[in-house]
Amino acid sequence: MKRIAIIAIILLVGCTRSDQDSKYLRWVGDAEPDPEMDASDFQLCGSEKLVQQYFYFGQGLQYEGEKTALRKRFKEAYLPVETAQSGLVRIRFIVNCQGQAGRFRMIGSDLDYQEQIFDERITNQLLKITQSLDGWAVLSKSGKPRDYYQYLIFKINNGELTDILP
Amino acid sequence: MRMLLIFVLAVVSARLAAQPNCNAYKYNGDELKYKACKAMEKVKGHYQFSRAFQEALDEALAIDSTFAYAYRIKSTAYLKSGDFITWKKLMDKAVKYDPEGELFYRASCRYQFFRDYAGAIKDIELLDSLVDYNIGYSQNGDYHLNIIKALSYKAIGKPNESLQIFERQLSDSTHSVGIYDYLHLGVLYLEMGKFSLALRALKQQALENDIAENRYYMALACKALGDEKGYLENIKLAKEKYENGVKMFDPYVEKMDQIFLTDIMDAMKTEGF
Repeated sequence: MKRIAIIAIILLVGCTRSDQDSKYLRWVGDAEPDPEMDASDFQLCGSEKLVQQYFYFGQGLQYEGEKTALRKRFKEAYLPVETAQSGLVRIRFIVNCQGQAGRFRMIGSDLDYQEQIFDERITNQLLKITQSLDGWAVLSKSGKPRDYYQYLIFKINNGELTDILP
Repeated sequence: MRMLLIFVLAVVSARLAAQPNCNAYKYNGDELKYKACKAMEKVKGHYQFSRAFQEALDEALAIDSTFAYAYRIKSTAYLKSGDFITWKKLMDKAVKYDPEGELFYRASCRYQFFRDYAGAIKDIELLDSLVDYNIGYSQNGDYHLNIIKALSYKAIGKPNESLQIFERQLSDSTHSVGIYDYLHLGVLYLEMGKFSLALRALKQQALENDIAENRYYMALACKALGDEKGYLENIKLAKEKYENGVKMFDPYVEKMDQIFLTDIMDAMKTEGF
């Protein structure tokens, strides 16, 4: 019994060390909680290890009213910004098992996929509208609702929002 | 038709899923790539997003930093999580070290995931200039790369160029018709105001793969031609098919010419018939 306990401790320490040494988190794109950025009332339903990707459920992007409703929200709420900036902005977030979204993270690039910091008048609007979306579907596997990562990519052309992906 | 699709998808899937045969590198005297390839075998059984998967590829690339295939499979998790910056860096390296083998993937992902139509055209035309054989299909098997080129030309506002490519590709006797080829051709004709040709292409799509989209666009073509009966039949069928899930689908992204239920409902509400 004592020997089993020692082996278990060695394995556990070994695993922990390996995880800490790695430059990778559990999965590519995982967003660790950040109290300075994240709403305090956003909670996962399951463990961090169980958060899936939206496509894991084999249904594509799932939003009430489909992509049409998403487009409509942005078309109504986004005001074009006078700037020569063009490129892509991705906002990625987690939708929990109650359909609430949180842990929003943003990246941006120019049209050649080179990292670019966008004018805040663009990114603040996109983030605010994305955070206000309230039609995310609750997605389940084996009858159990799961937390999942979703993203939206915004195509910007001279400060105008021209398309929303995926 | 279904058997043909299964065959094409099987061939494409095999092309994508198959690990390179490490012994082939050894046989060709490339000892470094052989070692990198053997290190890459550690990805087996690991999810492509996972730490173990990514670390195995880093190990392979540390042995041989010119191993194009390893860059490509490393890029996939970034692609699917929408990280276009990291994805593109990795795929640029893959293309740098094996343009003939990797341009098909970068081109089709630019089209499918990022609607980077100009980039897709550039990659496909570059690939075409490098090889003297059939440039082949997209990474998911949905399209021949020339069809992606045609769709990309349409998307950047060049419908005539698009149509020329479509007609040339679809009249090629070696072309295996894709699951959405005639739908897109029909929509292109429709957008160009060639309603009878649109209807003919969409009817062909119905024979190949009869889905909500081709019925919806057939309804629009019938309406433009003043065929009320055809319009009503097709819009009703479009709704039925949509509600039964017989429609365009991609688990990752919205496809070009894909419709949603509101499109059908709006068409039903509009006056005219």
